[in-house]
Amino acid sequence: MTARVATASWAELRTARLTGVGGILLGIAAGWVALPPISTRSVVLPLVLGAAGIAAGAWAATQGEKRIGIGAVVASVAGIVVAIVAMRAAVDNLELVVSWGALTAASLVYATPLTFAAIGGMFSERSGVVNIGLEGMMLMGAFFAAWGADTTETWVGGVLIAVVGGAALALVHAFFAIHLRADQIVSGTAVNFLALGITGYLYINIYSDRGTPPDLPQIPDVDLGGLKDVYFFGPAFGSLNLMIWLAVATVALSYVAMFKTPAGLRIRSVGEHPKAADTVGIPVYRTRYAAVILSGMLAALGGSFLSIGFNHSFTENMTAGRGFIALAALIFGRWRPVGAFAAALLFGFSSALAQRLGQVESWQSYQLLFQTLPYVLTLIAVAGVIGRSIPPAAIGRPYTK
Amino acid sequence: MSEGRLPDRPPEEAPATEPGDYAPSVAARLAFLQRSGGVITPLLTAVFAFFVGGIVVLVTTGKNPLTTYRAIFDGTGLNWLFPWVTGAERTTAALNLQQTLLLTVPLILTGLAVAFAFRCGMFNIGGQGQYTVGAVSAVIVGAYVSTSHLPHVVLAIVVATVAGAAWAGIAGLLKATVGAHEVITTIMLNWIAFWTASWLFGIGGPLQLGGVGNESVPASETVKETAKLPVFWGDPLLQGLHIGFFIALGALVVYWIVLNRTTLGYGVRAVGFNPDAARYGGIPVARNYFLAMAISGAFAGLAGATDVLGWEFRLDQTSIQASQIGFIGIAVALLGRNTAVGVFFSALLFGALLNGTSTTNLDPSIFRPELAQNLTLIIQGLVVLFVGADVLILYVWSLRRKLRRQAGAADTA
Amino acid sequence: MPDEPILELRGITKRFPGIVANDAIDFDLRRGEAHALLGENGAGKSTLMNVVFGLYQPDEGEIRIKGEPVTMRSPREAINHGIGMVHQHFMLVPVMTIAENIALANTPTHAGVLLDMDAAERRVADLSRTFHFALDPKARVENITVGQQQRVEILKALDRNADILILDEPTAVLTPQEARELFAILATLKQEGISIIFISHKLNEVLAIADRISVLRRGKIIDTVPREGATEEGLARMMVGREVLLRVEKAPSQAGDALLEVEGLTVRDDRGLAAVEDVSLSVRAGEIVGIAGVDGNGQTELIDALSGLRRAESGRIVLAGRDVTNRDARYVLDAGYGHVPEDRQRRGLVLDFSLAENIALHDYAEPPDSRFGWLFPGRLIARARRLLKEFDVRGGGPRTRAAALSGGNQQKVVLAREIGRDPRVLLAAQPTRGLDVGAIEFVHRRLVEERDEGRAILLVSLELDEILSLSDRILVIYEGRIVGEYGPDVSEEELGIAMTGGGRETEAA
Repeated sequence: MTARVATASWAELRTARLTGVGGILLGIAAGWVALPPISTRSVVLPLVLGAAGIAAGAWAATQGEKRIGIGAVVASVAGIVVAIVAMRAAVDNLELVVSWGALTAASLVYATPLTFAAIGGMFSERSGVVNIGLEGMMLMGAFFAAWGADTTETWVGGVLIAVVGGAALALVHAFFAIHLRADQIVSGTAVNFLALGITGYLYINIYSDRGTPPDLPQIPDVDLGGLKDVYFFGPAFGSLNLMIWLAVATVALSYVAMFKTPAGLRIRSVGEHPKAADTVGIPVYRTRYAAVILSGMLAALGGSFLSIGFNHSFTENMTAGRGFIALAALIFGRWRPVGAFAAALLFGFSSALAQRLGQVESWQSYQLLFQTLPYVLTLIAVAGVIGRSIPPAAIGRPYTK
Repeated sequence: MSEGRLPDRPPEEAPATEPGDYAPSVAARLAFLQRSGGVITPLLTAVFAFFVGGIVVLVTTGKNPLTTYRAIFDGTGLNWLFPWVTGAERTTAALNLQQTLLLTVPLILTGLAVAFAFRCGMFNIGGQGQYTVGAVSAVIVGAYVSTSHLPHVVLAIVVATVAGAAWAGIAGLLKATVGAHEVITTIMLNWIAFWTASWLFGIGGPLQLGGVGNESVPASETVKETAKLPVFWGDPLLQGLHIGFFIALGALVVYWIVLNRTTLGYGVRAVGFNPDAARYGGIPVARNYFLAMAISGAFAGLAGATDVLGWEFRLDQTSIQASQIGFIGIAVALLGRNTAVGVFFSALLFGALLNGTSTTNLDPSIFRPELAQNLTLIIQGLVVLFVGADVLILYVWSLRRKLRRQAGAADTA
Repeated sequence: MPDEPILELRGITKRFPGIVANDAIDFDLRRGEAHALLGENGAGKSTLMNVVFGLYQPDEGEIRIKGEPVTMRSPREAINHGIGMVHQHFMLVPVMTIAENIALANTPTHAGVLLDMDAAERRVADLSRTFHFALDPKARVENITVGQQQRVEILKALDRNADILILDEPTAVLTPQEARELFAILATLKQEGISIIFISHKLNEVLAIADRISVLRRGKIIDTVPREGATEEGLARMMVGREVLLRVEKAPSQAGDALLEVEGLTVRDDRGLAAVEDVSLSVRAGEIVGIAGVDGNGQTELIDALSGLRRAESGRIVLAGRDVTNRDARYVLDAGYGHVPEDRQRRGLVLDFSLAENIALHDYAEPPDSRFGWLFPGRLIARARRLLKEFDVRGGGPRTRAAALSGGNQQKVVLAREIGRDPRVLLAAQPTRGLDVGAIEFVHRRLVEERDEGRAILLVSLELDEILSLSDRILVIYEGRIVGEYGPDVSEEELGIAMTGGGRETEAA
C-alpha cells in the first residue's frame, strides 16, 4: 500500500498550520484585550484582532488545514463576542470575575481531580478497556479518603486508604470486563451504581446525620513563600494544594511511562492489537488488569483531593459527574497525557468561571444556571472533536484467546 | 495469573482477526441472553444480587438480612396479592401496593426508554435528564395553561413527551451527525437539566411559585385541577393510584408493536444488531440512531408527565435533585432483557424495593431507611453488573449441557 | 543425529465443542526442508499450527523438538524452543513503527528502565541487510506494502533466533511477483538451515516451493508425498476426496447491451486521498467482468461508490439507463442493483435476525412486506421459504437465526436475497472467501447461470484463480486506475505484472 501524496506539499501545509494557529491566538487576543488587566473599552481593537484571526483561519482552511482554520474562525468570533459582552459589563464586575491570578488557581483546583481521573482513564483505555466507572472510582476515593483520614488521623492514611478503595472497585470492573468479557460500558455503569450505593451506605452508617467531622485532616497546601506578592504568579501558584502539584507531576510521569518505557509499549500494543501482543508473549489479561487497577487508583487520588484537599468533608455523590468530564477530557486530549491535562484545565476553567460569575451581585439568581457551564462546554467539545478522534484500535472489545 | 482460564475458542471460519473486528453489540448480547436463559437467568440474577445485598447487611450492621428483607417486603404491599391476607392487614397492604404501583409507573416508562435505545445498540444514560425535562414541561403546561380537563391533560402529556424526545434527540443528533458517543452526551445533558431545573424553581428563579410567604420555598406552581390525572384505585387525598398506570401498560404494548410490527422497529433492530449490514442493505443508519434516541426520550419524558400530573402536582428543587428514576430505569431495562414483559416485572420489583425501603414504610428500628435506600442502589448495581456478564451465564449453561451429555453417555456406556 | 526430524507431531488431537479439528495427526519436519501443509478451508491446518505454536493445548498427542518431547503452554515457550510463526493476518500493530513492533517481541532497554529504540532500529537494519529485506525501521506498519509487512513478520521470528518457521497462507495477500520474491527468501532461509512449514490451499504454489507435501482433510492427514510425482489433480483429489472441477465449465458469453456504465469516476478514501482515479468501465448484459488487483488499490472505494455508500467526487455511474451517481444505497438498489458484499458476517447479514428477516433486508419497507409502516411477518416468511428452497440452503428454515448456519449456507442466503430481487446488475465482492470447495463450486456455478440469464455481473476478487475461471473480461486495477483489460486466456504472469503497475493499456486479445 503506497502512501498517496496529498494536494499540498509538506512545506505549504506547515505555513498553513502556523497561520491557522496564529489565527486562533488572534481570536483569543481579541477577547482578552477587553478583559482585565487591559480592559480596553473601545471596540476597535478587538474587532481588528478578530478580523485578522478570521482572515488567517480562512486562509489556512483553503490551504488544506481545515480543522485549525475553522477553529481559528470560531475562536475569533468568540473572542469578539466576549469582548463585546465584557465591554457592556461594569468594570468592577469584570475585575471581580476576571481576576486572572485567582482564576488560574481556581482552574487548577477544579482541574486536578479531572486530571487524575483522565490520566487513569488513559492507562485503562490505552490497554483496550473502556472505563466508564471512573466516576465511581473517584467517589470511592473521596469517601475513603475522608473516612481514612478520620480513622488514621492523618491525611496520608486517608490518601492511602482512598487508593485501596479505588483499586478495589477497579478490580471488580476489571474482572467483569476482562475475564467475564462483559460489555464494558454496562460494567462501568454498574460499578458507578455500586460506588454510589456503597459510599452512601457507609456514609450514613458511620456518619449519619452529623456528617464528616469538621476537623478532618487535610492534604496540606504548598506555600511558595517568596512568590506570594509577585504579580499574577503569587495568587495563581503561591499556595496551591500538594495534590495539584502531584497532578502535574503525574502528567509528566505518565508521559514517560507510556511512551518511553517497555511497559508503556506493551500497554499500547495490547490496546491496539491484543492478538499480536499475545503472539509475542505479552500477557494480555494481566496487562489489562494492571492498567484498569491503576486507573482506579489514580481516579481515587482525584477523589481524595475532592474530599480532604478541597471540600474538607464528604457529601453523598460529591463527584457530580466529574468522572465523565474527565473521560471527555481524555478523548479531547486524544488519549495523550498532556492533551488530557490541557482539556482538564479548560473544563476546570469553566467551573472556576461559573463559580466566580455567581459572585457578581446582579447575577446571583443565575448562579445555579452557571453550574451548567462545564457540562455545556463538555458537550460542545465532545460534539466537535469526538467524531475525528481515533481511539486505540482494540478498545471496548473483550479479548478472547 | 494464568491466562485464559475459560475454555479455548475454535478458530473463526471467516478469517477475521484484524483489530477492526465484528463485535457483538449490546442489543445482540442481551438478545442472546434472552434466548439462552429465558426467565430463569433474570430471576437468578436478582436472587443473587439480593443475596449479596443480604451479606452486606449482615456484615455492616450485624442485623439479620431475612428480617430486613421481610420488613421491606411488608412495606411493598405485594402481600395484597395473597388471598389469605384479610382485614386491616389487607387495607394496609392495599395502600402499600398503590404506592408501589405509583413508583412502578415511571419505572416502566424509564425502563422502556433505556430498553428501546438498547435495541438500537445505544446506551441511553440520559433517562434522568429526559424525565426531568418532561416533568418540567408538564408542570409548566399544567400550571399556566387554562382549558378543560381532557385537553389539558392530553396537552400536558404531549408536550412533556415531545420535550423528552427533543432532549434525547440532541444526543441522537450528535451521534448521527458527528458520531459523538451517547454515553457522554446524555450524561452531560442530565446535569444540564439538573441545574437548569434547579434554577428554574429555585429561590429567585423565574418559575418559582408566587404568593406571599413563599419567597424561600424553592418549588414550582402547583398544577391546576384540570391537569391532574384521575385516580382509579384508592383515595385521591391519600395518593391513590392514577390512570397513569394504564398509560404505562399501554406504553409496554406500543413498545412491542413498534419493535416487532413496524418498519421503523425493523430498522431500529437491524441497526442495533449490525449497523454495517444495515448500511449495506440501504437502511439509513444515522436516521435510525436519531429516531431511536428520540423515541427513547419520549418514553422518559412521558414518565415525568405521569409523575407530575398523577401525584406530585408540583416540582421542588430537592425532589428534582434527589430523583433517581432515570437511573433505576437502566437496571430495569437490563434485568428485563429489553423486552416488554421483562421491563414490566423488573419495574415492579424495583418499585417494590423503592417503596419498601422508603422512610414512611420501613420501621427504623428494624433497619434505617436511608441505609436501605443505599442498599437498593447496591443491589441495582449488582443486577446491572451480573447482567453484563453473559459469558458467565454461557459458561454455566455449557457446563450444564456437558454434565447432561456426560450423564447421558454414562447411561449408554 | 542429522537425519532426525527437527519437529515431530505424534497423534495430536484437538477438539472443540461439536467438531474434532485435529484427529490423531502424525507429522514431521526435517532440517532444512520446506514442508507444505495442504488442505481446504476448515480442514484443520491453522488449528494444527496453533497447537505447535502454543496458542492451543492439544487434547491428546505429543510434540517433539529435536527428539525431546515438549509441552508448549504459550507462544512464549514456543518461541523459546525456536519456533516462529507468520500468521495469515499479520500480528503487527499498524500504528507503530517496524522497530517498535520488533521491540515488542524483544525489548532493548537503557538500564532496564527506558526503551532503547536506537538499538531496536539498528537490529532491524542489520537483519534487513543480511537477508535483503529492504525495510526502513522507522516506517509505520500501516504505511508499508503487504509484502513488506510479511517480511517484518519473518524478521520478527528471525530476531528471536527461530530455526523453525511456520508460514500460514503466506501468498494469500501477495501478487505473483511478490510471491516469487518470497520464494527466493525462503530458499535463502533454507540454505541458512532454517526449516519451514508452509500452509496453503493453492496447489500450484505448493508444487513450486515444497520439498514434501502433507494433505489434510477434515482433521486427518491423508498422505505425505514428496514433490516429485505430485500433480495438481492428484493433490486436489486428496484434499477433497473426490474429483474436483478446477475450472468452471461455461459457454462463451452472449453479451448484450451495457447495463452498467462508469465514466471518469474519481472517489476519495477516508483520508481524503484519491483511491479511485478516473475509472471508466462497462459491464454488458450476459457477461462477467472481473476486477483483479492487490488488496488496497481502490477496490473497496470503487465498490462503495457503485453501491451508493460513498461519494464520488467526479464522474458518472449509469445503471440500466438510470444515472445513479451519488445517490444513496436505497436508490441504487431500487434501480436494479444487487450487491454481494465481501464480508458476509459484517456487511451481508444481520446474524441475529432470522433468515426471513435477512432476506427482507432491502425490501421490508415496501409492499408486500409492509404497508404504511406496518410489517407483515407472514409474507416475509413465505417469500423466504421459496428462496431458501431454490438456493438449497441447509441448516435451517425461515425462522432460524442466520448465525446458526455454516459459512457456505450463509453466503447462499445472501445470494438468494440479492438474486431473488431480480437485479439487472450484480456485484459480487470476494464471494467465496472462507468457503469450502463444495460451496465455492455452488457459488461459481450460480454466477455463471445468472450471467446466462442476461444479468451483468461485476466480480471483484483477490483470488486470481477465481477471476480467471469466471470472467469473460478481466480488468486490472492499480493505485485506483484501470491499467489493463484482458481476455479470459491471459496468463497469471501478465496479470501479475499489471497488478503491480508494470503493464501498459492493452486491448483484449
